[in-house]
Parts: sequence; structure tokens; C-alpha cells
Amino acid sequence: MSSCDNPNVEQDSLMTRRKKYDGKTKACVKCKENTGHVVIRHAVYCKSCFFPLIEARFKKSLEPTINSSGPRRKTLKAAGSLVIGFSGGIGSRTLLDLVAKTYYAPREVDEEKLRGGTNHPRNKEQGVWTGKPIVCFVDTSSAFSNTSLVEEARIIVESYPGVFDFRPILLEDAFDQDWWRKVGGDLSESASGLGLDITDQDLRLSYASTSTSECSPQTALRAYLASLPTRTAFYNAIQTLTRVLLLQTAASENASHLLLGTSLTSLSVNLISGIAQGAGFSVAEEAIEEWTPEPGCGMKLKVVRPLRDVGMKECAMWTYWHNLNVIPSLNAVENNGRNAIHTLTRDFIFGLETDYPATVSTIARTCAKLAPKETPSGVCLLCQRPTHAEVQAWKAQISIRTYHDAASAVSGNTRPPHLTENEIASLTKKTQDDLSTSSNTLTPFLCYACHTTLTSRSSRGTTLTLPPGISPTNIPIPRWITQPMALSPQRSNFLNADGEVFQSLKQTPEDLKSRIEGFILSDE
Amino acid sequence: MPPKICVLCEKSKAMVKRPKTGQIVCRDCFFYVFETEVHNTIVQSKLFNPGDRVAIGASGGKDSTVLAYVMKTLNERYQYGLELFLLSIDEGITGYRDDSLETVKRNQEQYDMPLKILSYDELYGWTMDAIVSQVGRKNNCTFCGVFRRQALDRGAAMLGVDHIVTGHNADDIAETVLMNIMRGDIARLGRCTAICTQGEDTIRRSKPFKYAYEKEIVMYAHFKKLDYFSTECIYSPDAYRGHARAFLKDLEAARPSAIIDIIHSGEAFEVREEIKATQKIQQTCQRCGYMSSNTLCKACTLLEGLERGMANSGITDKARKKLDAAGPTPDNIRTIPFFKPPSGSPAVTIDVPL
Ligand SMILES: [Zn+2]
Ligand SMILES: [Zn+2]
Ligand SMILES: [Zn+2]
Ligand SMILES: [Zn+2]
Repeated sequence: MSSCDNPNVEQDSLMTRRKKYDGKTKACVKCKENTGHVVIRHAVYCKSCFFPLIEARFKKSLEPTINSSGPRRKTLKAAGSLVIGFSGGIGSRTLLDLVAKTYYAPREVDEEKLRGGTNHPRNKEQGVWTGKPIVCFVDTSSAFSNTSLVEEARIIVESYPGVFDFRPILLEDAFDQDWWRKVGGDLSESASGLGLDITDQDLRLSYASTSTSECSPQTALRAYLASLPTRTAFYNAIQTLTRVLLLQTAASENASHLLLGTSLTSLSVNLISGIAQGAGFSVAEEAIEEWTPEPGCGMKLKVVRPLRDVGMKECAMWTYWHNLNVIPSLNAVENNGRNAIHTLTRDFIFGLETDYPATVSTIARTCAKLAPKETPSGVCLLCQRPTHAEVQAWKAQISIRTYHDAASAVSGNTRPPHLTENEIASLTKKTQDDLSTSSNTLTPFLCYACHTTLTSRSSRGTTLTLPPGISPTNIPIPRWITQPMALSPQRSNFLNADGEVFQSLKQTPEDLKSRIEGFILSDE
Repeated sequence: MPPKICVLCEKSKAMVKRPKTGQIVCRDCFFYVFETEVHNTIVQSKLFNPGDRVAIGASGGKDSTVLAYVMKTLNERYQYGLELFLLSIDEGITGYRDDSLETVKRNQEQYDMPLKILSYDELYGWTMDAIVSQVGRKNNCTFCGVFRRQALDRGAAMLGVDHIVTGHNADDIAETVLMNIMRGDIARLGRCTAICTQGEDTIRRSKPFKYAYEKEIVMYAHFKKLDYFSTECIYSPDAYRGHARAFLKDLEAARPSAIIDIIHSGEAFEVREEIKATQKIQQTCQRCGYMSSNTLCKACTLLEGLERGMANSGITDKARKKLDAAGPTPDNIRTIPFFKPPSGSPAVTIDVPL
């Protein structure tokens, strides 16, 4: 329908283009004395009022989450230690600086402040978290085959002497048995050969191709990424692996808090990008989430984004005025992601921010008012976020991809008119054969978005090729998936009565990666 | 290269790559799955009861033309037992609606369905051409959208139908989900993915094409050689919605399932209970009896602004205050006739086919 068929446009007055700043007032709105230096949401601030403003927003987002539930205490005291996910970008650079200055400021600074006559409560805030905070840097260079930026990150983190412990993590650690043991996981031999048959729409698991179980974590990572059907999936997988690596690491350090440097701008991008990838059910998790590790692997972890109310521009001002180094263009995600939903969304939101500056905060505010419609039925094995059941039924209802399970519906005049009763019967009969072998699938353990990541195709693939020796029917999967899948009762399906392993290989039923452009193949 | 075989029936030559699934299918299978998915949508959401009188909001464009055809097909194939009508709104846009209405009149004969045309001029005393000449092209879609919604309900009441189906497709709904998030329109976000909506005393409205891709609707019309009017409205929509539309097209190109994925997202969340409680309660408009969240409904507010030469009063709060300051509503302005909810039998005679 033409877009004006929708009466929703009446709210558009809210979105009329505004000048970012009226240009008339020059004085800071806060102290009303100094000349303003920066415009934030239509108000001018001077440099000395800007810093406390950002600090206040940072604390307002973070501090209500610090004390574990119970009677309100005056002092801030977290249940465990602190882990910070550091990417080197503007947001996380600002976060690192704010955490260091607010909670781990060196003595001299305190005394200076005290000498200045301010009764600063920093002394009371010492020791909010137990132990020394750990800064994790996830090195994604293997995914993009570019140089590692670990040393740049280390220099930044160590520029706060004695404050943080630096902990580099490799993206391929997700596939590394040694890393998995270190964070508290355990793998029986049988689980390590578990792989994914990416050629199968049902995401069947296959077992014990020796080449897969023996390849290096780096090869496993590259195989996993290369097996994904779209650029969108490629970037989504890197985001998910990064997030879960941070979760697992934080849990293994007995952390009660994992802080991420997501700015308001990045949060809005993540929200829209998540919604566009089908992750609406966990939209609330983008702003704040709680994750419960496996029993015995750590305590309940709060993932907090203390800059979720501070725009990217403000973070940039913070780093600029404090002379803080930022790691330039850390990810190839920044440059090379055309045709990926996340990068398209980022470009779109950044573009809107210029012309419609209110949009970014509106998106975050709107999404903060949303909650999942149903209670979660569990946690997605891949992304570790809450999920709800019946994803498959929903998908099958909306897009008919096969006549296999249409047996009851297709008779008489409700049958495809060009098929005879025998023909449709032979198409529907396959279902039974399929059922007997398809119980070892990943599908029921995935959320809608992760299932879509692994299965939804596009005419433009990732153009990556599988490393030599890796079969598309046995793609390595992250360690946190192999463990529960190997422990689930379905594992027995991989082993026959004598404990002998059989492989469930299957022919690809159709060439889904057709190169044909356009949708209509021929005329008549 | 040998011809590709349809992946669904494994028998006929593939003719189409389905935009929605990327599967290569034959023409008959394409028709079949397209229609069956709409049927699934109807059955799953229990949209109709046997004997229902259902008006199809018909604009002459591709969506509503295909909808009329598919509704007729499914009604016969699955014996829904529906009485189908075509309901058209004449906004009074020269060079656009007058031509598209000719298409609707042909559809009336082709599909053998009674047609009712209700005009803005008749209902509000204003054509869109006249409105645009007063308000310019900036906010005209606001007027058009508000007026059309009420006109459809009133037209449906005149036909004595209990249900209006509109041709909103999956692309429209995905776009609306994005728009409502970006504009912070929580009330609409909560209901925009609902397949069927109903106000207190208004007619049920539903969107059987909720999961149908726009591209597939075009393909369906193309292969079935359906007669539709393909010109876009000459009063183009606002720039902001245009951005959202272009963004959605980019997402679809990156991954075709994006449209369905956005709708899934929209269905998966809802407005938190504590926020719902603060939302305005529906009431009826003091002046015209239509459902409203204020004492005056949006259409009456817009109309009063037009009549008093202060058209922006329905658009911004500032202009509204200016209107209020200009004194009470004069008695001599045109108003919308009082709304009579449907009684179950036709209140007017139906236009006879030409
Ligand atoms: Zn100041
Ligand atoms: Zn998931
Ligand atoms: Zn076929
Ligand atoms: Zn009214």
C-alpha cells in the first residue's frame, strides 16, 4: 500500500528537523557564567560543567545495579569482582577512564580534592568490588585476518598504573578446549568431535569427524564463520562470540558485574539491528541483562552499560578533552560490512542523528518500555539470552518451505492443483523418513535470532571459503554449545548400542545458493 | 543448462525465485504457497466466522486488488462463507484517485462484488486537493491518513459489515514497527503487529497480508495478469517515513528474511504493564461519536482547523493553543455527521455496477 495509507503519520511533528543548537545563547546552562563549549541535546555546557554531567549520567546508570538485592545500603558494595569489556573504541575508552577516576582514583587525587575543600565521598567508595578489576580485550583479528591490536589495548589499560589487570582473550578461544577448561567447563572426549551440518536446514549435528576435532581453534573459528550463510550472520556471530566469551570469563573470575562501553548511540544501533534480525524477544537485554552461569561456574552476573545514556559525541568530547588515545578503527566491522544488517543499521542511525538528533534517544527510551510478551522458556544455547518456544512452528506457518508436513491439509481442492493425490502423498511421506534421523538438531535449543543467523540465506553470501580439510557437514561449534549438547540425552542418538560412532551425513536437498539474480527465472 | 526443477513439487520447471524464502519454485507452487500462507494467517488468527459480512478496503492498487482476488479465491476454496464487498474511499485527488477508482469499478465486475464508494468531500466537505491547497504538501498525509481511517469505518457502517480487511503487507508492517520505535509511539507499537484490531464500538479491521511480501504481491498480480493501478500517490509521504522505507529495502537486500524477522520481533515484545497503565483511555468524540483518546477526535480537530483557516492546529500543540486562544468553535463550521455504529444490516443501498 502507499505509505500514506497509514494514519500513523500524525506523530511526525515530533520528528521535524531541528537545529541542533539555536546559536543564540552562548553561556553554559549549568553555571550560567562560562562560555559554552559543547551542545548536548539542545543545551550548551562549558567544559568544566561537562565533566560532572557525564559522570553523573554514568553513575546514575551504574550505581543502582551495584548492591545485590536486599535492604538498601548507604555504601556501595558489590557481591563479587568487576570485569570490564574493552574494545578500544570511543565508548569503552570513556568507560575505562570513568571507572578508573570514579572508583579507583589514586590517593593524591583524593587529597587534592579534599584540600580543595570538597568533602568528596571517594574514600567511602573504595573497594566497591572485591579484588582488582579485570579489563578484557577480545582480539578479533583472526576473524578478519588483520593484525592484532592487543598491545595497543594493553598500553591503554596499563596507562592507569596498578588499577587494572589486563586480560586479552582471543575470539578463537570460543573453540579452544584449553580455554573452556580454564573457565570451568569440562569436556568428555566424545563431545569434542561434535559439529554442525550447515548444509541441513534442520541444523543437524554430526559427530566425530577427526579433522574437525583436531583442527586448531583459529581454523575452527574461521570454519565456523565461513560456514555462515550471510554477511549479516558473519558480523552477528562475532558479536555473539565476543559477548559470550566476556560472560564466561567474567563468571570464571567470580565477577558480579561486567561493564560494557556501549554508548547511547551504539545502544540504539544494537536495538534496531537486533530487532531487524528477529531478536525482539530479548530487546530488553541490550540495555541491561543478567546471566546465570552453569552451577559451580560463578555467580549471577549483571551486564551493565553505564554509558547507555551518554551519546557517542559526548564520549568523543570526553576522550578529546582528556587526551585519551582510542584504538583507531579497531574492527573491520567498521569498514567492511556493507550488506550486513548491523552495519546498515549503524549507517542509518548515524545518518538520522545528524538530521533528527532526537531519534537516538527516542529509540532507547521506547525500547526501555518493552518487555517480552511471553515468559522465557529457557536460554538460547548459542547467545545465552532468554528464548521462547515454538519458533519453528511460527516460521513454518508463515513461510511454506516444503509440502512434507502438509499431509492433512492437502486433499481435494486444497491440494496444489497441478499435483495428483499420489504425487502429493509421495512428497509428504518423506516427513516420516526425515523424522527418524532428524532428532539430533540444534534447532530446538536456539532463539529465533540465532536460528535465523544460521539458516537465513541471501543471494549475496559471505564469499569466505572453508579452510582445507573442513567438511560443511561437520562445522566446529563454540565450546559452550558442545558441552550441553553432548550431555543431553539425545547424545545417545550418536552412538549405537556398542558405543560405536556413526556419522549422519545427508545430501543437500537443493542448491539454495543459487547464483541466479532476479526472482523471475524465465518468461513462460 | 537444463531447466531448474521446482523445489516444492519436484516436478515442474521452476519459474520464480521466491523473495520470501529464496526458494526456486514453479508458478503453480508459487500461487499455491502464497494463497495457503494467507489462508494460514486467516485460520490461525480466527479472523472470520461463517456468515460474516466483510468489506475489502479497495484502492485499485496492487495490494488491495490482489487481496480482493485472493479473498474471493480462498472464500470459495475453503468455504469461509463470507459475504464480500469492495469499499473505496475517494480522497478527491485529481489525476490519481479518480483514475484508480476506475480500476476498482472494473474489479467490481471482474470479481462480482458489490462496491461502495465514500468520498472525503461527502463526509468532511473537503477533498484532498482542497486540503493541500490550504496546508501545502508538508502535513497533508496526516490529514489523509486520519480521514481515511474514519472514512473506512463509516463506509463499513453504511454497508452494514462487521469487518474490514486491508491490503497492508509485511513490508508495511515491518516499516511501521521501525517507525513507531524511532518515533517513540508506544501505543501504536503495541498494536501495529496485531493482525486484527478493534476499538470499543468500531468495526474489526484486519490484515490478511500481514506476512505477504510486497514483491510477491507484485509477482502474483503479474502472473495472474490482474488489473491494477500502479501509480503512487501524487502527494508524496513525509521524508522521515521515506528514510525508514529505504532502510527497510536495504535490510531486505542484505537478508530477505529481515521483513519477517522484524515482524517477529514486533510480536515478541509488548509494552510493559506499568507503562500501559499510564496510556490514555479510549473514549468517544464529543462532536462526532467516533472513538478518540481526547474529547475531540483527531479528524474533528483537523477539520476544525481547516474550517477556521488554521490547519496546523491539528498538527502541533503550539498551533492548537493558538486556535483555542482565537475563541470557541464557531457554530457555522462544517462538522462530521454523528457516527452510528453498524447495526448489522446495510444502512444504504449499494452502488450498482456501471
Ligand atoms: Zn558551566
Ligand atoms: Zn540465541
Ligand atoms: Zn512446483
Ligand atoms: Zn470527532
